[in-house]
Amino acid sequence: MYEPRIIAFLCSWCSYTGADSAGIARIKSPANIRAVRVPCSGRVSPELIIKAFDQEADGVLVLGCHIGECHYDTGNHRTAKRLPILRNLMAFAGLEPERIRLDWVSASEGERFSKITEEFTQVVRSLGPVHWRVDQNGIQVDKRLAISREAIPYPVTDCTAKTDAIREKARELLTSQRVGCVIGYEISLRGRTRPVFVYTPDEVERLVWNPDCTNNLVTYLPAKLRAVKGQETLKPVAIIVKPCDSKSINVLLAENLIQRDQVHAIGVACDGIQGLDGNLQTRCVPCQEAIPVICDTLISGTMSSLIPRVKSYARDEIAELDTAKPAERMEFWLGQIDRCIRCYACRQACPLCNCPECLYEGDDSTFIGLGIELNEKRTFHLGRAFHLAGRCVGCNECERACPMGIPIGLLNQKLAADIVAAFDHRAGLTVARSPIVSVLSGEYKEG
Amino acid sequence: MSNSPAPNKQWKISRIELETWLDEIAVARTLIAPRLVSGIFLYRHVTNSSEIAWSEEKSESPHTSRPILSSKEVFFPPTERLFTIQKSGQEIHLEENYPNWETVVFGVRPCDARGVKLLDAVFMDTIPVDSCFARRRGNTTLIGMACKELNSNCFCTSVGGAPDDAHDMDIMLYEADGEYLVEAVTEKGRFLIPGGEWKETSETPPKSTSNGQFPIPQKGKWLEHFNDDYWIKISERCLSCRACAYVCPTCRCFMVRDEMIQPGEFERIRCWDSCGGENYRRVAGGHKPRAEKGERLRNRFYCKFYYYPEQYGLNAESACTGCGRCIEVCPAGVDITEVLLDLEKSV
Repeated sequence: MYEPRIIAFLCSWCSYTGADSAGIARIKSPANIRAVRVPCSGRVSPELIIKAFDQEADGVLVLGCHIGECHYDTGNHRTAKRLPILRNLMAFAGLEPERIRLDWVSASEGERFSKITEEFTQVVRSLGPVHWRVDQNGIQVDKRLAISREAIPYPVTDCTAKTDAIREKARELLTSQRVGCVIGYEISLRGRTRPVFVYTPDEVERLVWNPDCTNNLVTYLPAKLRAVKGQETLKPVAIIVKPCDSKSINVLLAENLIQRDQVHAIGVACDGIQGLDGNLQTRCVPCQEAIPVICDTLISGTMSSLIPRVKSYARDEIAELDTAKPAERMEFWLGQIDRCIRCYACRQACPLCNCPECLYEGDDSTFIGLGIELNEKRTFHLGRAFHLAGRCVGCNECERACPMGIPIGLLNQKLAADIVAAFDHRAGLTVARSPIVSVLSGEYKEG
Repeated sequence: MSNSPAPNKQWKISRIELETWLDEIAVARTLIAPRLVSGIFLYRHVTNSSEIAWSEEKSESPHTSRPILSSKEVFFPPTERLFTIQKSGQEIHLEENYPNWETVVFGVRPCDARGVKLLDAVFMDTIPVDSCFARRRGNTTLIGMACKELNSNCFCTSVGGAPDDAHDMDIMLYEADGEYLVEAVTEKGRFLIPGGEWKETSETPPKSTSNGQFPIPQKGKWLEHFNDDYWIKISERCLSCRACAYVCPTCRCFMVRDEMIQPGEFERIRCWDSCGGENYRRVAGGHKPRAEKGERLRNRFYCKFYYYPEQYGLNAESACTGCGRCIEVCPAGVDITEVLLDLEKSV
């Protein structure tokens, strides 16, 4: 008969002792439980849970102290916020959400421990063996979503006024030495619009604005501010931002990665960005934001009425996946992630993926192997999405940078929607940290 | 490799004959061909010719589309199990994992085939021979397809290739007016061609059109400019991802490690690696020899145009085949041809 393997993360202050109490009282608990003793349920990072499933656990149980009883005051609050979001993410990737359970057991509640473990084992047993781990590559599933992304042709737009205004402002800032560098866009010999770094007033003619200015330049900002730190006077950096890019500045400010006076944001009123095919990029289709949320200089303009703003394809695609069966969602994501080559372009292009050392890289990563194989690739993408929960501003650079055309942005947008629903938090609109990854907000507003 | 210099035998076949032939190949061997997977083209296993991705204008120009990853992945896969290790008590048992199946790759572009040839020098023509690569190479027949024209990022003609270069193929196909001219380039290729069924011909293959040339700087130039600030300047926009290396037909760095499959069973795997990544060549103690972005990007260009020709000689002027894939995928607009122009211009 099938017996599930269940990993239980037990807080050493409560539920671990609770399990002991159950034993002392001779209360029977299922033998399916493999207990992992942790100092606090807040210590159970999402990576550990994903890893448990990667190693063929059929279910993961996290038991912590009752709310209000945490030995470290707020550890279990973190867990209480994090786990439901992780469960949503795992469910979105195709795991049955019932396989992850969070509950509270105090040191004296032996009976409760036994009851919860019994219940959970029963649920997991009825679900049957997990099909999370995949041992082959090249699975060749090409499951498409029913939603078709309608192409909206980008109208011919004259941007000379904006270009001139940007050049003029850049010249002024550089001449007066208020900034040491202007990060903007230029047109390459090949005719591609790409990032450029301008240091002297006579180079400002390189700067342009056009509908192809797609890169989120904020990605370069923290490094640029660090790089000039060694010099005697640290000059601020001017940066050209679109509304979506400007939100990532707010997140960086909230996380103390840059200081407000180090940045001179030249905000450009945005009309949507054009894709390589000459159509409006799909991320821009539902966007109503024309004016950057943070800017010291505004290069104004009006939103073109020629570009219809319709529904969000991403939202519809997420809804379609949400209504599909877990096995179908799993199939969809495996088919997509199978193409990943682990080039990390998504991570590198992301303005908010800024850990000095990625958890999912390197020859000594605890959470992921070296192989460019399906399990590892999925773990990386899910982990990355979770790390961006409540931080991702939706610039979708990850998806654009992906050479393999994987819709990774959907993972981020799914979590962003969940976080709006649970915490009413929209990343980057104000200088505020993510309610689940970096701070304890919500209940503790008065402090 | 037997590149026979004698005039190669040629046949002219219709699209239907081509498809029938490919279907036959797919039965007896593993057929790998361009395939449309969720909107992008990749070299993938196909079970019959109808799964092959022909280009959009199927009716007018029956041509396969060029995959985003080069055919390198057929010979040098992103992750490869070299051998498995079984350990029970004191006994250790090693088992090699050699790919043994006969493979045919269809729709190979001249730049890709040249890339494979350049990899031969690294993996097979120098001692020790890389047995996994050599085995795959020996079991694989390349059926090439001449490009009719260069696309906007291509520059193969600048690095010694051509859109209709048959040199590194086993069989070469040229498409004209819906018919295909088939040329058997090697013995291995001739072996795949069905005997008397096809109509022999002595026509000259149609010429492809090509565009402008990029200069390839001389070795001295590269030496001279190694310490220039130029490399820091152009690397500012580089994001240090590895997309360029992974799509490149000749980037060949890899990392090897033993990983556990289950208790008592381990595997030695080899995976792609890239000099673009920050941790590349990190040594014990944490020292990173190329800590700066500029040094890493510079290495990529030097590897192609200076180190490779120095190390592996041949007649190769460079390890770049001019496919332009790195230009295509770079999210930040780094452009290898721009480096060539800038270096040539500098005095």
